Amino acid sequence: MIEVQQLEKNYGFARALKGISFSVSKGEVIGFLGPNGAGKSTTMKVLTGYLLPSGGGATVSGLDVVSHSLKVRRNIGYLPETTPLYGEMRVDDYLRFVAEIRGVGFTKRKAAIARAVELCGLARVTGKNIDELSKGYRQRVGLAQAIVHEPPVLILDEPTSGLDPNQIVEVRKLIRRLGEEHTVVLSTHYLQEVEKSCSRVIIINQGEIVADGTHDSLVSERPAGALRARVRGPEEQVTARCTEALPGCRVEVVARHDGAIDYVLEAGTDAAPVAEAFSRMVVQNGWDLLELVREKATLEDVFRALTQEAQREALHA
Amino acid sequence: MLDTVVILRRELKSYFLSPIAYVFGMLMLGVLLFFASTSLQNNGPASMQQFFALLPLILVIFVPGLTMRLWAEEQKLGTIQLLMTFPVRTIHLVLGKFLAAVIFLAFVLLLTIGLPLTIGAYGKLDWPPVLGAYLATVMFAGSFVAVGMFWSSTTSDQIIALLLSLVSLALLYALGYPVLIDLMTGSGWVPAWFVDLVNGISPFKYFVSISRGVIDSRDIIYFTCFCGFFLYANALVLNNRRHTG
Repeated sequence: MIEVQQLEKNYGFARALKGISFSVSKGEVIGFLGPNGAGKSTTMKVLTGYLLPSGGGATVSGLDVVSHSLKVRRNIGYLPETTPLYGEMRVDDYLRFVAEIRGVGFTKRKAAIARAVELCGLARVTGKNIDELSKGYRQRVGLAQAIVHEPPVLILDEPTSGLDPNQIVEVRKLIRRLGEEHTVVLSTHYLQEVEKSCSRVIIINQGEIVADGTHDSLVSERPAGALRARVRGPEEQVTARCTEALPGCRVEVVARHDGAIDYVLEAGTDAAPVAEAFSRMVVQNGWDLLELVREKATLEDVFRALTQEAQREALHA
Repeated sequence: MLDTVVILRRELKSYFLSPIAYVFGMLMLGVLLFFASTSLQNNGPASMQQFFALLPLILVIFVPGLTMRLWAEEQKLGTIQLLMTFPVRTIHLVLGKFLAAVIFLAFVLLLTIGLPLTIGAYGKLDWPPVLGAYLATVMFAGSFVAVGMFWSSTTSDQIIALLLSLVSLALLYALGYPVLIDLMTGSGWVPAWFVDLVNGISPFKYFVSISRGVIDSRDIIYFTCFCGFFLYANALVLNNRRHTG
């Protein structure tokens, strides 16, 4: 559905995109993740035809975004980051305007608007001026605007930013519903959002893709650095031996219950040698090792590791 | 071309939905009628000459106020991202906005029709020149709108757009002003071709020609070219922003 090849974008001397490539197949919901200024919005702006690439290229439904810009734009629904709306217009007038300019035929227009209103839960506010709406409703109007012409591809730039937790849940629900019929590319700061609504994650940092895969694959690829252990023994001795046996490892007591102590051992990168050394130490001292589990990495760990690694490398270079 | 009509309709609607249009329309109408009413006081012949003589200067002041927001506001609010990602050619967007602004100005002008009607009721008014002058004014206003809109597309700051338009329209107006032209020819050191060129560029000269009631195809061609030039430049500026972001 979407093919991006070595896409580059420069703003003057600043390189916003340094040749990224990825593809999105039909029916996928892709989450773009990355710190501010990573190039998420820029990528979306190139896909929607708002910006021209400085190098490389992209196709949407097989059509080049530069040479077939108008056709590509017809296939895309776009919610820009700033949720641009005409405040003086009524919600229904606004949606009618977008439907008209997006080429929804006169006979289908009414049904198309009704569908967008229904999907986005706007029925109560169709007669209101957009200026009078709350931030949550404005965001929904922005979404309705993006889907009114039933585009095969939806591009949503931070669809949940600035919403309260209830609204976020609603918009996520809506995105999941939209994902059933549309191919969706969305960008976000919220890591849970990706876990909850996306089938695949692309992490982008400083204009480069640093990870691309399903949530589970990204998390499992990354060995978590932390272990959780439950030991029965004299606390002070255990802790002391622990620090001796595991140099460079942070040892922390997190809970105590009837003689057993819960530890969290943070090893840094790889937990496997730490697990070995720790279990050997406990057994050698004749204490009981009741539990030893590797803590699962979260997407947050992956994100932090990937984006900060690159920063560190950039600093050293 | 249908796109142009859709844009035009939205623009026109938003003129009448926003208070700016009413304040603007009323002010312009007020100023027009205030100055024009002087033509009713003296016992001279029934004519609209004074009214139409004043119009260009009033348009120099009012048109930038109308056009300054046309693109600058879209750029400030980010709605430009919406417009530029619609499956519509940029020139069609430009045309839609342009025509809406011209129609709005024509509407305000139409509200002054009471003046010639009143004059006509009390004296014998020669109607063809009056209608010609109205037509000339709309075309003249159109050329000003094209210039103002062009400046608006270059910035996201409405005040900058306003100042640039004011200065360039005042200049255009002055360049066609008969006194200035006479001065230049009379001075002897300004080359004749330059005087002709300068005089030929200014829409004012063509306005004077049409407002006499004689519609010459050359005048129509001039206004079409003048507007076409600035509207095309407008679209170029907007499209060029796709490179720079």
